[in-house]
Amino acid sequence: MTHTQKRILMSRVAMTFSTISAVIGIGFLLWILGVLVSNGIDALNTDIFTLEGTPPGYEKGGLKHALIGQLYLVGIAALIGVPLGILAGTFLSEYGQRSKLAEIIRDISDIMMSAPSIVIGAFVYAIVVAPMGHFSGWAGSIALTIIMLPIILRTTDDMLSLVPSTLREAAFALGAPKYKVILQVVYRGAKAGILTGILLGIARVAGETAPLLFTSFNDNFLNTDMMEPMASLTVTMYNYATSPYEDWQKLGWAAAFILSMFILSLNIIGKLFLMKKKGR
Amino acid sequence: MATIVNVTQEKALEVKEFEFTYAGADAPSIKKLSMPIAKNSVTALIGPSGCGKTTLLRSFNRIHDLYPGNKYKGEIIFENRNILDHKEDLIHLRTQIGMIFQKPTAFPMSIFDNVAYGLRLQGIKNKTELQDRIQKALQDAAIWNEVKDRLKHDANGLSGGQQQRLCIARAIAVEPEVLLFDEPTSALDPISTAGIEELVVALRERVSIIIVTHNMQQAARVSDYTGFMYLGELVELGRTEELFVTPKEKLTEEYITGKFG
Repeated sequence: MTHTQKRILMSRVAMTFSTISAVIGIGFLLWILGVLVSNGIDALNTDIFTLEGTPPGYEKGGLKHALIGQLYLVGIAALIGVPLGILAGTFLSEYGQRSKLAEIIRDISDIMMSAPSIVIGAFVYAIVVAPMGHFSGWAGSIALTIIMLPIILRTTDDMLSLVPSTLREAAFALGAPKYKVILQVVYRGAKAGILTGILLGIARVAGETAPLLFTSFNDNFLNTDMMEPMASLTVTMYNYATSPYEDWQKLGWAAAFILSMFILSLNIIGKLFLMKKKGR
Repeated sequence: MATIVNVTQEKALEVKEFEFTYAGADAPSIKKLSMPIAKNSVTALIGPSGCGKTTLLRSFNRIHDLYPGNKYKGEIIFENRNILDHKEDLIHLRTQIGMIFQKPTAFPMSIFDNVAYGLRLQGIKNKTELQDRIQKALQDAAIWNEVKDRLKHDANGLSGGQQQRLCIARAIAVEPEVLLFDEPTSALDPISTAGIEELVVALRERVSIIIVTHNMQQAARVSDYTGFMYLGELVELGRTEELFVTPKEKLTEEYITGKFG
């Protein structure tokens, strides 16, 4: 066998193995989606969106309470987390730059990003739930905010750093004060990337169960009072899916399907933004 | 000591015993440099890479101040004041001394908003006044005919040469006294380069221009005065035609005949 033939053979072997690995990986993803779609669509009906939870054995029950609770929990977490994250990311990229303080914040935020979410749940339990004496929607939103924050902070930091420094210099050279350079030029240049970070941050917390288990807990009925325990799709799904009642299990599938589709679409929209940015 | 020809006409800027040290560097990048910059003419700065010509240029609008730790010494006199003074209002200074960068720096907004940017910073809100001054700036930058039908389009859709002329329009819209050009054509094709050079020559009627260039032919084509810098010092400053034909310093002669650089 000549040297060239050997190389071609090695190349084919490597390609075969990586293709097989890719197929296995994607195979599982498609399998999960397939099971979810077939069971989820089966369980879907209009009652899901219009009725609240019922005790097992009742014919008609829905997920309205969990859907609305989820919107509250994630929505309020986003209302707090997005501005905080963007401002903190702006500090890192535009003010802190390579300073020691900025580097420490970056490191801590990276550690926070990989912290198990249940630990954050326990932390919020200790500082919010325990002093209040009961579970609440606020505690859930705070836990989600803490998980969301480092994601938005780091993407904002990264995306702002990608804006060429000559663009900043050009704005300064026209006599612009720093805050106007950031607001009018730098943010504009990083718009798509920051938006992606926000969407991915929201998508990440929307699927969290562990930190909600001991913060917002759950409620089988509709509650929009953030001071009280609040239902979420994830905890409801966890409760229903592990219950022995078939109608509850069906609702669990429906919750899993709705949640997955929500997160999937957020991710796809986020990727599309990024692609649009790169395409330019 | 450097050979410096007497600039008899009025001066736009006067550099005196100027030293510049980058943050963290032991030695200054520019050493005790003195030179006059003539008003309403084009002064080219030439010299090998690392000689400090861009560093000097970036001192005139104190853009170095964006990065902490850089140190100035000496004086740069502009309109009877030392602009290196720590009390200098940098925002005001930069409206008087504009800058064009090596790569075009069109902002991610429409062509109109790009040129309007500096004007709006100065508080001009009146729509007709904005439109008039933007049209005038674009005409003066010789790009009006190409963009007049698409002022609302994204400026990043323009070609490199067009973007650079847009940047010049943006800079002259605020009517500065001095314009700094930092190798403005090094990222452009020959035709766009010729366009920018014509513009530089035409603009000196209204502003004093300092241009840093790697290209000696360009310096010869566009400038009235040329300064040759080497290792952070000014070796020779003279009228361009004299400096290129009969250089006084041996170093200058060696550089312009291509012996090093």
